[in-house]
Amino acid sequence: MTNLQAMDPRLSRFDPLERVFFYDDFDEGIRGWSELIGNYEHTLDSMLPEYSDMRPPMLSNLTMWDTGTAGSMEGSYALKLATRARVGSLATSIKRQTFRKRGQIQLECYFTFKPEASELRLSLDDVRAFGVLFDLQDGMNPEFRWMPHLRYLNAVDDEMINRWQVKGQTRPFHDIGDSGETVSHFHLGPENWDFVDCPAQTLCYNEIATKMNWHYLKVNVDLTERRFIGFQCNDLVYSGEALKHISIPAMPNLNCMLNTAFWVETNRDKRAFLYVDSVLLSGEF
Amino acid sequence: MAVRRSYTAIVERDVLWEGEFASEPYEAAWASEAIFFVRALNALAITTGDGGLETGTARVQLSADGIHWVDEGTEIDLPVSRDEVTFCRVRHFGGWLRITGNVPSPAEIRVLVSLALKE
Repeated sequence: MTNLQAMDPRLSRFDPLERVFFYDDFDEGIRGWSELIGNYEHTLDSMLPEYSDMRPPMLSNLTMWDTGTAGSMEGSYALKLATRARVGSLATSIKRQTFRKRGQIQLECYFTFKPEASELRLSLDDVRAFGVLFDLQDGMNPEFRWMPHLRYLNAVDDEMINRWQVKGQTRPFHDIGDSGETVSHFHLGPENWDFVDCPAQTLCYNEIATKMNWHYLKVNVDLTERRFIGFQCNDLVYSGEALKHISIPAMPNLNCMLNTAFWVETNRDKRAFLYVDSVLLSGEF
Repeated sequence: MAVRRSYTAIVERDVLWEGEFASEPYEAAWASEAIFFVRALNALAITTGDGGLETGTARVQLSADGIHWVDEGTEIDLPVSRDEVTFCRVRHFGGWLRITGNVPSPAEIRVLVSLALKE
């Protein structure tokens, strides 16, 4: 245990790199996690439709209709993403930062996910997927914008999948509006996901929709070499070949971008929820 | 001095309401006061019996679980023209908030609904 972790017991459940860049305990508020929205010009109608409704995050105390309030993993409140009750609906929340040095970065969080408890049944396959992504661009003299995506595909229709996936390609860019200054691309569609070369992982769903068990997730990325190094979820550790990521030419006004986003997708006409408490980004800064 | 935490959620954006509607549920157990703002991005109003314009009304609802809803008692008229804003204040609401109501045919309204919360 490092001195830093010894000084603050809340950090003892994390394994941060040498400097903590942000540590978000949602008892303190929303901490910069905002709704993701697509680019637009003049009117919201110019937005790519997939980005039009990615739902505002909220602070939840995990109150259930049958057992009342559970609270978050530590304290009262967690960050909650909630889809609409419409199959394929996504909720996405993003924290927008920049970096000052290209080095390794590491995201750690504790999460849990559930469908809305609107039916008295198992509901195991009602959440389609959840995930985390980075949206990054080099700093001085940038060559690339690049976007490591990692998602847990829980179920598709009536089939349980329970596998981790990464994405190597986004959709084509579209011009937005008429000025020639704005473009957009949608990168969270169902296409171009590849299974990670690791076993299926059944997470701790715990029998009914009102019981939440928190899970650990760690994602490692190297900004210097633009490599998606690996990840860990509970006792599953992936440290094989570098994982695929989306790579596109650098864009005009994104230098040093370090965005982190979580999302959840529903598999039914029922709301799907992702809860996060807490999130720690560390790095070689 | 600690400042009071606050947060504004855009609970509906560029959504068309015609007939029965309900905004998405929003969890706000941490907050003690709230304002719903409804802004019309576009509105097609109908003429009332006394010659005025209307696009319907919205009622504030509360929920203990985000699933089962009950009227709180507050009602607001919806805006009748582009960029008009109407609002209502709510206090002591427990866990979840939404607004629901009816836009009488053939009226319709495209809305941006903000929920401004404060500790």
